[in-house]
Order: sequence, then C-alpha cells, then structure tokens
Amino acid sequence: MSIYRSAVKKPITTLMVFTAIIVFGLYSLTKLPVDLYPEIELPAITVLTVYRGANSGEIEKNITKIVEDQLNTLSNLKQITSVSRDNISVVTLEFQWGTNLDEAANDIRNALEFVKQRLPEGADNPQIFKFNSSLMPIVFYAVTAEESYPGLEKILEEKVINPLNRIDGIGQIGLAGLPKREIYVEVDPVKAEAMGITVEMIGGIIQAENFNLPAGNVKMGDMDYQLKIQGEFYSSDQIQNIILGNFFGQTIRIKDIAQVRDTIRESNIDEKLNGKTGVRMFVQKQSGGNTVKVAKSVQAEIEKIKPTLPPDVKIETIFDSSDFISNSINNLTETLMYAFLFVILVVLFFLGRWRATFIIILTIPISLIVAFIFLGISGGSINIISLTSLSIAIGMVVDDAIVVLENITKHIERGATPREAAIYATNEVWLAVIVTTLVVVAVFFPLTLVSGLTGVLFKQLGWIVTITVTTSTLAAISLTPMLSSKMLKLLPPRKSKLSWDNTIQKFLEKLDNFYERSIRYVLRHKVSALLVSFLIFGSSMLLITQVGTEFMPDSDQSRVSATIELQTGIRVEETKKVARLLEKIIKEKYPEVTLLSVSSGSDDTGSISSIFGTSGSNIINIIMRLEPKSARNRTCWDIGDEFRKDLAQIPEIKNYKITYSQGFQMGGGDNSVVIEIYGYDFDTTNIYAAQLADAIKKIPSARDVQISRAEMKPELEFVPDREKMAIYGLNVASVSLALRNRVTGLTATKFRESGEEYNIVVRLDEKYRSSISDIENIVVQNSQGLKVCLGDIGVVQETWLPPTIEHKRRERIVKVSAVPQGVSLGTLAGEIEKVMNDIPKPQGVLVEIGGAYKDMQDSFMDLGLLLLLSILLVYIVMASQFESFKIPLIIMFSIPFSFSGVVIALWLTGTNLNIISALGAVLLIGIVVKNAIVLVDYINLMRDRGYNLCEAIAISGKSRLRPVLMTALTTGLGMLPLALSSGEGSEIWSPMGISVIGGLIFSTFLTLIVVPVAYAVFERSGTRRKRRLAHRKDFSFMD
Amino acid sequence: MKAVLIIFNTALTDKVEYMIDKLNIRGFTQWDGLQGRGSVDGDPHYGTHTWPEINTATLCIVEDEKVDILLEKIQKIDEIDKRVGIRAFVWNIERMY
Repeated sequence: MSIYRSAVKKPITTLMVFTAIIVFGLYSLTKLPVDLYPEIELPAITVLTVYRGANSGEIEKNITKIVEDQLNTLSNLKQITSVSRDNISVVTLEFQWGTNLDEAANDIRNALEFVKQRLPEGADNPQIFKFNSSLMPIVFYAVTAEESYPGLEKILEEKVINPLNRIDGIGQIGLAGLPKREIYVEVDPVKAEAMGITVEMIGGIIQAENFNLPAGNVKMGDMDYQLKIQGEFYSSDQIQNIILGNFFGQTIRIKDIAQVRDTIRESNIDEKLNGKTGVRMFVQKQSGGNTVKVAKSVQAEIEKIKPTLPPDVKIETIFDSSDFISNSINNLTETLMYAFLFVILVVLFFLGRWRATFIIILTIPISLIVAFIFLGISGGSINIISLTSLSIAIGMVVDDAIVVLENITKHIERGATPREAAIYATNEVWLAVIVTTLVVVAVFFPLTLVSGLTGVLFKQLGWIVTITVTTSTLAAISLTPMLSSKMLKLLPPRKSKLSWDNTIQKFLEKLDNFYERSIRYVLRHKVSALLVSFLIFGSSMLLITQVGTEFMPDSDQSRVSATIELQTGIRVEETKKVARLLEKIIKEKYPEVTLLSVSSGSDDTGSISSIFGTSGSNIINIIMRLEPKSARNRTCWDIGDEFRKDLAQIPEIKNYKITYSQGFQMGGGDNSVVIEIYGYDFDTTNIYAAQLADAIKKIPSARDVQISRAEMKPELEFVPDREKMAIYGLNVASVSLALRNRVTGLTATKFRESGEEYNIVVRLDEKYRSSISDIENIVVQNSQGLKVCLGDIGVVQETWLPPTIEHKRRERIVKVSAVPQGVSLGTLAGEIEKVMNDIPKPQGVLVEIGGAYKDMQDSFMDLGLLLLLSILLVYIVMASQFESFKIPLIIMFSIPFSFSGVVIALWLTGTNLNIISALGAVLLIGIVVKNAIVLVDYINLMRDRGYNLCEAIAISGKSRLRPVLMTALTTGLGMLPLALSSGEGSEIWSPMGISVIGGLIFSTFLTLIVVPVAYAVFERSGTRRKRRLAHRKDFSFMD
Repeated sequence: MKAVLIIFNTALTDKVEYMIDKLNIRGFTQWDGLQGRGSVDGDPHYGTHTWPEINTATLCIVEDEKVDILLEKIQKIDEIDKRVGIRAFVWNIERMY
C-alpha cells in the first residue's frame, strides 16, 4: 500500500503522526539554546606556560622552543604558532579540521610529561586550553569601588561569584585587575648585612615560625588530651616582631631591619571604569549552554545582589553579548514571519482558494518544525545561520504541495470525488515530486561536507534545507492528499465582479497568454535572443571587477575597542597619565559612549586573558560601549575614525589599533591582510618589516598598518664572570636565585586568615633595587658565608629585546598587517603585493601573505570546489531523470546567467562579495535548476504527447509560468525583509538577501526566456520522434 | 447471463465499486494497472511519465436484465467528465460451472 493511499484511507493516523512530529518539534524548540553562531570548536589547543620574571628571550629559549620541539610531531597537526612574552609562553597548536581534540589533548599531555623535567625550575607546569567559541565571555561587568577597593576580592568572591555560580549553565566567572592581598617584608640590605642576615635567612625564619603541628595525645587521669603546637600567625602584625637572632647581645626583630606591609599586591596594571578604579568581571557559559538565557539570569541575579553590596561598590555591564544576539534573532524571526506571510499571500494570489492555500501553507510549519527536531538531536542552536537557512527553505517547501494539490484540483474539476482525486492524482505525480526534491537535495547536501570554518556556516544550511525539503515532500504526498480529500470540494465559478475568478484569475490568464506570445516571438528570433543574453552576461561579468570582496561582512555591534601603544619600556605610571587624558577626550567628544573601560599596563602574573590580548606596561586597552544602533547618528566606524584622529594628535602615542567586533568573530577576527615575514635575525626582519610598513602606509586604502613585533624594549642583564664567581665558590644558579629573591622576592610562606591564603614575600626595599648601581651592590653569600657584591662577579648591562617573540612553524616571524579602508580585502592584498615586489628582500627571509585574506581565498576555493560538486551531483540526478546527457546541459546552461543577477545586484547596492553572498549564489543554483526542470520536463512531456518542438515549448511555457513565478516570488519576497533589514546584525545577512533577490529576478527571466531558447537550439525539431523511428527499423516486417 | 467488462480510469475505482454494490452485483473480477488507448479520442492511459493515467478492468457476469441498468449507470459516470474515461463491453455467456 502506497503512502498516499494509506494517508487518505487513515486520516486520523496521518493527523496523529504529524501532530506527534509537531509536538516533538515544539518540545525541541523550547530546549534549543539561542546563540549568535553555531558552536565552533576550533581545532586548536593552546599550551600556556608561566615563568615569572623571565623576559621574552628567555621564555623563547627555555620554554617555547622546548615545548614546540616536543609537540611538533603530534599527528594531524596543521600548524604550530607561539608567542613568547615576558613571564609567559603561549604555544598554539592548530589541528586539521575534524581532529578529535580530546585525543589530541591527551597526546599533548603525554608529550608535556617529557617536557616538564627539561623546563626551568621556576616555571609553572604547562597548562592546556582548548579553544571553543563558548569560552568567550558572554557578559562583561565593570565593578568599581572606592573605600572597599582593597577588600574587593573577598566581597566579590562571597557576595557575587558564589551566588552566580549557582545559575544553571554558568561555566566560569573570572575577574581581571583584581587587587590581591599580599604581605611584603621589605628588607633594608645595609642593616641586614651589618647583622649578617640574608633575605633567604629571613624567609626561612618566617617559614619556620608560621607553623602548626599536632604533637600527639596526653593521657591525664580520666581524660585524653590532644597536644598541639599552634605557631601560625593569626595577624600580620605578628610578623614584624619575629626574632631573627642576637647581635652583640641584642635581640633583633624583623622590624629592626625590614618593613612589613600588609597591602594589595603591587601590580603593573591599572583598571579604570568610567574613570573609577575597578575590576572587570567576565562570565563564561558552559559549552552548549544557552547564551541568552544564561546572560539574562546572570543579569537578574546581579540586580538582586546589588543592594547587598557596600554602597561604594558598583556593578555595571560593559557588554552583554546576549543583547546583540537576542536583537539579531528577533530581527531574523521577524523576517521569517514576514517570509511566511508573503508565501501565504503569494499562494493565495495564485490559487485564489482559501482551503487550498491552507492545505499548502500547513506544510511550512511542519517542515520547519522538523528542522528544530534536527537541531535538537544534533546539539545545534537557534542562531543566525539556522534561522537564515529556515528563511531560505520557507519558499521551497511549498512547491511540492502545490504540484500535488494542483493535480488533485484538476481531478476534482473532472468530477472525481475528493477522496478518489486525492489518491489517484497523487499517484500520478508523486515520483516527479520526489525527483525535483532530489535535485534540491543534490544542491544542498554537498554543503554538509564542507570542512573548515566555512563548513560551520554551510553545514547547518545544508542539513536544514535538505531536511526541511525532504519533510515537505513527505508531507506533500501524505498530508496534502489527506487534507485535500477532506477539505477540497468542487466550487461553482464565483459570480461577483470583485471575486478572485474575475480579477486576478483574468489577469493571470492574460499574463499566460502574453508570455505564450512572447515565447513564440523569441523562438522565431533565437539567434538574436541568445546574442542579447550573452551580451548581458558578458557585461555583467565585467562588473565583477567592480564588486569588492571580503570574507565576512562587518557588523556594528555598538562597541569600539582600541589598543594604544606608547614608547616601549615606559613606566606604567606614565602610561596612566595618557590613559587619563584619553578618558577626558572620550568623555567630551563622544557622548555615545555609555561605558568606558580603560586598562593600562600589564598583569605580571600571566593569566588566561594574556592569550586574548596584548599587554605591557606601555599598552592602554580601551573598550567603549556605545548606545544602541538606533539611538545614535554615528556608526561605530565613524566613531572609530574620529577617535583615530584624536589619537594621532597625542605625541606620546606611538601606535594604535581600533577594532569593532566583540573579540571572537567568524573568520578568525578582523578583516586584515597580513604579511608574514619569517627570519631568525631580529635586526634584518625588523628593518624589512619597517620598510614594508612604511610602503604600505603610503597606499591610500590601507589603514591601521601594524607590525606585530613591538619595538625593542630596553632591559637590564646581569652578565656573570665565571672566573670570578669560581674564586668565590659561586655558580650561576645560586647567583641568579639570590638575585631573583632580592628583586622579585622570595615567597616565604602563606598567611592564613578566614580560610584564605595570602603570600608572605620577602625582598629588598624598593629604594635598594632601583638603579644599576643598586643591583651591583646587591650582596650574595657563598656557602662559607662570605659576602660578595654582584658588581664584583659580573656586570649589569643594558640590552634590547623585543617584548614579544612570535613563532610560526617554529620559526621567528614578524607580521605586518593592514586593514582596508574603502576598498575590499582582495584589492588591498593586490596593491600590497605590488608594493612588496619593489622592496628588496633580505637574504634568509621568507615572506608570505596570510590573514583574513588567506582565509578568504581558502574558503572561496572550498566553495568553488563545492559548487563543482553540486553541479556534478545535479547533473547526475537530472541525467538519470531525463535519461539524457544533453537535457541536463540545457538546464545547467542557465546557471551562469543567474550569477549575472548576483553580480549586478551587488554592484548596484555597493555590497561586497563575501561568504554570505556566496551562500546566496549557491541557493540560486537550486532555484534556477528547479524552475528549469519544471519547464523542461513539461516540454518533454508535450513533445512526447506529439506536439512539435515550438508548439510544445509554447504550451509548456504557458502552463508552467505560474509555478515558476510562484517559486520565484515566494523565495524572493521571503528574502526581501532580509535584504532591507537595518536592525542590529543586519550587516551580516543583508548581502545574502540582496544577492538572492538580484539573482532571482534575473534567473526567473532566464528560465522563462533563455531556457526555452536553449532547448530549441540544442534539441532539433523531431528528435524525439526520430528516436522512435530509429527504433522502428527493428520492426521492418511491417513495411 | 451476460459478461460485462468495464474498463475505466483507475481514478473511478470508488465510483465503479459503489455502483456494483448498489446494483447488488456480488460477483466480479478486477484487474489493476492496465494500459490502454481509446478507439476514438482521449489521452492514452499508459501509466508512464508522459501518460500517467492508468486503467482498471472489472468483469462481472450478471443476469440479462441487469445489463441495461448497469450500462445506464456507466454512461452516467462517463458523462460527469468525458476526459476521465470509462467503457463497458457486453457479451454472452455460453456455459457456466
């Protein structure tokens, strides 16, 4: 029993099956997380190693190189890059897409086990970070405080972080720029030496005093007492009274030779939020968590917490990614609703029957809801891509139902009962319906095979369209006949003058006749028609040079960030002054800024945040949150450009970079062309990079030209004289440890208070370690207790070293990057390439172009391959359907023409060609091919039924005009809200709307004119009959 | 006794079956998926992509007096829409078992 027969005979079962699907779909919908993009697990793992007090050169030599060498042999490794910065080494391993990252992480862990013993002693264990888009903070808060600032850590920990951690879906809550309590014992070396006490001795004594130990049990009488020694400090005041020893009969306490300060840790970072001291708090969600939901509950919880905090502690949102997401999603949902409405109107317009329209429209929610089931099962989310995919699919899912319903109506008009008609009419067309669906699947299914970052975009589109279209076909051959058998009936022609029959129906008939006349005319002038089409095609292809290219469209996310660089090596105090000046400027000139976060200097402890951004004592990071897009006149780019001018006027500022996205964006961040310069020698590569940067700065379209290697930073180096050291019985290890203990400090022990631990650090007082001669005067002791000045066993030199050393493929690299202004990425890359050829390349230096431009080229290459695969698959499906090699070619003849429409539309609207508009182009293939199949199939049918070529074409054209127009109108009007939308995030998808609408207008015209002409040209009159004649030769006995 | 062979567009199956029941014709034999072409006009019924319609045949052996009424009803079915197609052919039954 066939599916449609069962469906009609068992209407209740059918209804129940579809009800079950809807219920399950709606259930999935409520469970689906909402996010901006599908979750992306970049196949990259970062190994972070902290070695406090080491400069970039030491980090490179002692840590990065060892880690890199050990990890280089991992399987599936695509690329290894690293950054060696002061205190920290970041090695990033990029794997092939599709690599199992858990396995890779295990391999890395194993490899690192070997590394550990070869790393310097003071280095922390390497940490592994998997990079996932869900790792990006979803909400950033600014916490400001005045009197409570020193105790902020504890306040936040207890009152904010703990309650927030209880929220479902919260991953981690981090704090940046937090004041940490620390106890310093700052030694006066002169007094200490006089009494023969070293820093190490003080550290040892403090450690020995700060001690608790259970001593056992004492039985006294009936009782059993526990005995213990309670030596731990209960107050930091105790430390200064610790006795160090006797000196000529006098007791020496710590306070005699040192100053004990219980304070917040010295930090080289200065965080100001709206001009107040503060801390940044960021919230991460769990992988797979619902960003919008988590962000909203965090916001609600924060509102509840606020009154419980001390009055001077203020929490303000710096940015909430859920705002942008929910606005974007709302916009898209609205778009989807409009598309739905338009489809209803179009179907009603063409059919003129309420019941028929209702039956057809019902397939839309069912097909779309099945997409939600798919998303639910595959762990997807509601995001821009999945919603856009749905709005693409919405126009396509009604096609099958229309074909089925049309045939049922035909049978009813011929007197069949609705029940008979439903069964037998479906029987006649079900195969054809499935084949056209197969073609659409052939176009979209290959999208699911795309790998890489573009794959993330295309996979969902591919799956969603494939699944919805397949569902719509199933619904069309089961639900549609069932409903038709129940709801349709023969209606007498309506008499009213304003009825559909007398208005739109008449108009459509006229349109049919007009089209039939024009097609006959065109068929008489085949050559000129083809010439005109080719002319249009050719000239539109010339326009392609005028259309810019980019990877991903930028969007105004109401955020401007700036990284500002001052003279390297400058003290953080000086950097702060500039930061205050900038704050003033921003407050005066940019009223749009609702929140300003300024951080200057660097956090020397090396935290995860160091992976994300550059820092250093000379760096100012500014984040400005703007008013929502609708509430301001200037875009974020306008403000950025203005701010650039302001920055250019401040003499202290050496360099600056302005970005607009919220950290992580698809396509590897910003739209920039990056020139990679490989070479070991710092001087050669620096000079070459500088030359290149100067030349690129002269290109008018280049903006924000940056050299990735910051300027050389002055540093002090103690060069030991081994001969002299040997005389005193010292070695490099003991000397460097001693030096480190005196300058950075020796963490002697931990002070415990109400469950928290604070470091007690012993070191020299700052005034005894702030000049070269101070360093040379530092006294170290050898094993015999002999005191030696550092100056006697070596010299302190000033040297220069880059603050960061980057590696790629284990080689040193300098990157020169530029962002295009007014032109496309591709154009800028071309211009830079020209400039590059004029500068002589030094020996031993290798230069390559990379960055977003490279990504773009790679993705376009991928897409090109995909296009080829789609076309091949479509050909295979069509060739088997028509049992012909030639007819698919005729149909595919129309594909290139539809791209003319895309190019013209992009050119007219000044939109760039990017991955999103390319997506639109892929979609067009589906529609063009589908329309052409409908037409060609009918022409074939007519010819088989005995009409001659031209007659068959004209009749088919007349009869298929409405379905073709319907498909085009439903899809085109469905896209119109996308193209016109100007809400938040619209920059991302409007190129798709524009290219699809442009392409559709063009391709519909093409299907209607060029395909018939091409058919007439390629298929000579009578070929179909001739085939039958040839066949007849075998039956010559009849002649 | 007469043999009546009704050959009709499969789309009319329900109508024909209803007619046979109503006329109290108990016995019949039915074939499905038959191809055919009318002698005068109308589209061929081949069940192919080009000619998707297909025929069913019902053979009933009825009493002589039922033939007229049967043909009359068949004509009525045909007149609903000539394009659908139904025909009946009658001949004598010589012997029966």
